[in-house]
Amino acid sequence: MASSSSSGLTFKLHPLVIVNISDHCTRVKSQMNPPVTSAANTTSNNTNGAGDGVVTAVSAAIPPPRVYGCVIGVQRGRTVEIFNSFELLYDPIAHSLDRAFLEKKQELYKKVFPHFYILGWYSTGSDAEESDMHIHKGLMDINESPVYVLLNPSINPAQKDPPVNIYESELHVIDGIPQLIFVSSSYTIETVEAERISVDHVAHLKPSDGGSAATQLAAHLTGMHSAIKMLNNRVRVLHHYLVAMQKGEFACENSLLRQVSSLLRRLPAIESEKFQDDFLMEYNDTLLITYLAMFTNCSSTMNELVDKFNTAYDRHSRRGGRTAFM
Amino acid sequence: MDIEQKQAELIDHFVKKASALKGTILDPVIIEATSHPSLFAFSEILAVPSVVELGGTENSGYLDVLRLFAHGTWTDYKNNAGCLPELIPDQVLKLKQLTVLTLAETNKVLPYDQLMQELDVTNVRELEDFLINECMYAGIVRGKLDQLRRCFEVQFAAGRDLRPGQLGNMLQTLSNWLATSENLLVSIQEKIKWADTMSELDKKHRKDVEDRVEDVKKSLSLKLHTVSRPTLTSEGTRRSTLSLVE
Repeated sequence: MASSSSSGLTFKLHPLVIVNISDHCTRVKSQMNPPVTSAANTTSNNTNGAGDGVVTAVSAAIPPPRVYGCVIGVQRGRTVEIFNSFELLYDPIAHSLDRAFLEKKQELYKKVFPHFYILGWYSTGSDAEESDMHIHKGLMDINESPVYVLLNPSINPAQKDPPVNIYESELHVIDGIPQLIFVSSSYTIETVEAERISVDHVAHLKPSDGGSAATQLAAHLTGMHSAIKMLNNRVRVLHHYLVAMQKGEFACENSLLRQVSSLLRRLPAIESEKFQDDFLMEYNDTLLITYLAMFTNCSSTMNELVDKFNTAYDRHSRRGGRTAFM
Repeated sequence: MDIEQKQAELIDHFVKKASALKGTILDPVIIEATSHPSLFAFSEILAVPSVVELGGTENSGYLDVLRLFAHGTWTDYKNNAGCLPELIPDQVLKLKQLTVLTLAETNKVLPYDQLMQELDVTNVRELEDFLINECMYAGIVRGKLDQLRRCFEVQFAAGRDLRPGQLGNMLQTLSNWLATSENLLVSIQEKIKWADTMSELDKKHRKDVEDRVEDVKKSLSLKLHTVSRPTLTSEGTRRSTLSLVE
C-alpha cells in the first residue's frame, strides 16, 4: 500500500506534533489501565505512563488503543509545514471523526493562529490500514489532499529514526478502477528555538535517573570529550592535506591556504592578561564556595554527633544525680 | 570563508584577463585588480606566466606593485616609494587594508598607537572610521574596539597570500594544536574515570558504614534482652545503660 510519493511536496514536521501525539497515546493508555488490571499495577500508574503501558500490555495482552487527531499547519507552495495538532474522538460506529468538535476546535485555533489550516490527521499504529482511508476521505472536504501522520507507539530500542510516517493519498488505477491509496513520503524535522530547548531538555533527562553528581559530571565530560574528538579529527585531516601539499603531491591551492592561515590566526583563542585574571578569580570563587559548603556540612554533622552524645550520656548523669538523694 | 567565495569569481576573471594579454598592456589590468574593492588575494594573478614575464622587462615596476600587494604593507611602500609607480587612492586604501591584515597576523590585540603609526593616521577618530568602514564592513576582519584601553581586539582576520616560508610555520602550528587537543582528550578521559571511581568508593564507604550500624544495632538489641530482667532499681538501670553505652 505504501510506495514512495510522487507529488513533489516537501514535508516539514515540528517536534511539538510528535510530542503531542505520543502524549495523547500515553494518556489514553494509562487511563485505560485501572478498570482492566489488578491493584499491583495501579500503583505503577503514577510513574512513567509509557513504561507501565508496556507492563500492562504484557500482563493484560491487549493492543494499545488507537488515538486520533488533527494536524494543522501552513502550506506555502510546495512546502507543507506541520506545526501543531489537537485530539479528536473517533466514532467507531460511524467510522468517522467527530465532525462538530473538529469544526469548533478549528474555529478556536483560527482565532489564535490565523495562518494555520487543517492539513490532515494523525493516528497511532504500526501500519496504515484500510479503514483509515474512510477517515481520510472524510477530511477531503476540508483539505483536498490531506496528510496522514502515523506514529508507531511500540518502543524499539534498535531503531534510530523516529517511528513517524507521513502518508499522502494518490489516485492510482488498480484493476481498472481508480482508487485512492496511501503513499508514504519523506519528511524533515524542523525546529523552532523553543522546541529545540525542550527537546534538548528531554534528551538529557536520562542521567538524572542515576541522580548522583558523579554520573552528571561524567555525562558532561563525555559530551565535551566527543566534541573535542571531532575537532581533532578534522584538524588532523587538514594537517595531512597541508603536509601532502608541501611535499608537492597536490598543487598549491591558494584559496584554501589563505583560509587555513586565517583559521590558525584565531589561535590561541584566549590568552590576554585580563582573561587569566577573570579565570583565576572565578576558579578561586568556586573552590571557596565548595570549601564553605563542606565546612557547613561538617559542622552540622558534628552538631548532630554532639547532640546524640549528650542524649546518651546525660541520662546517665541525671540518674546518678537522683540516686545520690536515695 | 565567505570572503574566499566572493573573491573566487574575481580571481578567475582577472586570471583570464591577464593570461590573454602581454607586456605593458597588463599594467592597467594590474591597477584594476589592485584597486578592486573586494579583491584581497593576488597570488593567483602572480602565478600567471605573462605576469611573471614582466619581471624581466623594464616594466617590472608593476610586478613589484603586485608583489607588494600580495605580501607587503604600507610601510614597505613608503620605504620603496622611489622605485615603485604612483598608487591611485583606491590602491592606497587597499594597501592599508592589507596592512591591517598583516598586523592581525602576529598579534590578536592591536594597540591604537601601533595602528596609527602603520597606517599614517593622525587621530583616533579617523582610525576608528577606517577600521569600521573599510575593514569590518568589508568583512576582512571581525573584532572589538576597546576605547578605554585604546586597542583593537581581533577575533577573525582573513588570510593574506602566503609567502613560501609560511607553509612550514602553519604546519608547525597545526601539529601543536593536534598534540594539545590529544593531551586534552586523554586528561578528560582520566577525569571521567576518576569521577566514576570516586563515586564507587563513596558508595562502598556508605554501604560499609550502614552495615556497621546494622551490626551494632543487632548487638545492642541482644544486650537489652539479656539485661531486661533485673532492672527494677535505678541502680540497676544505671549499670545497664553504662554497659550499653560501652
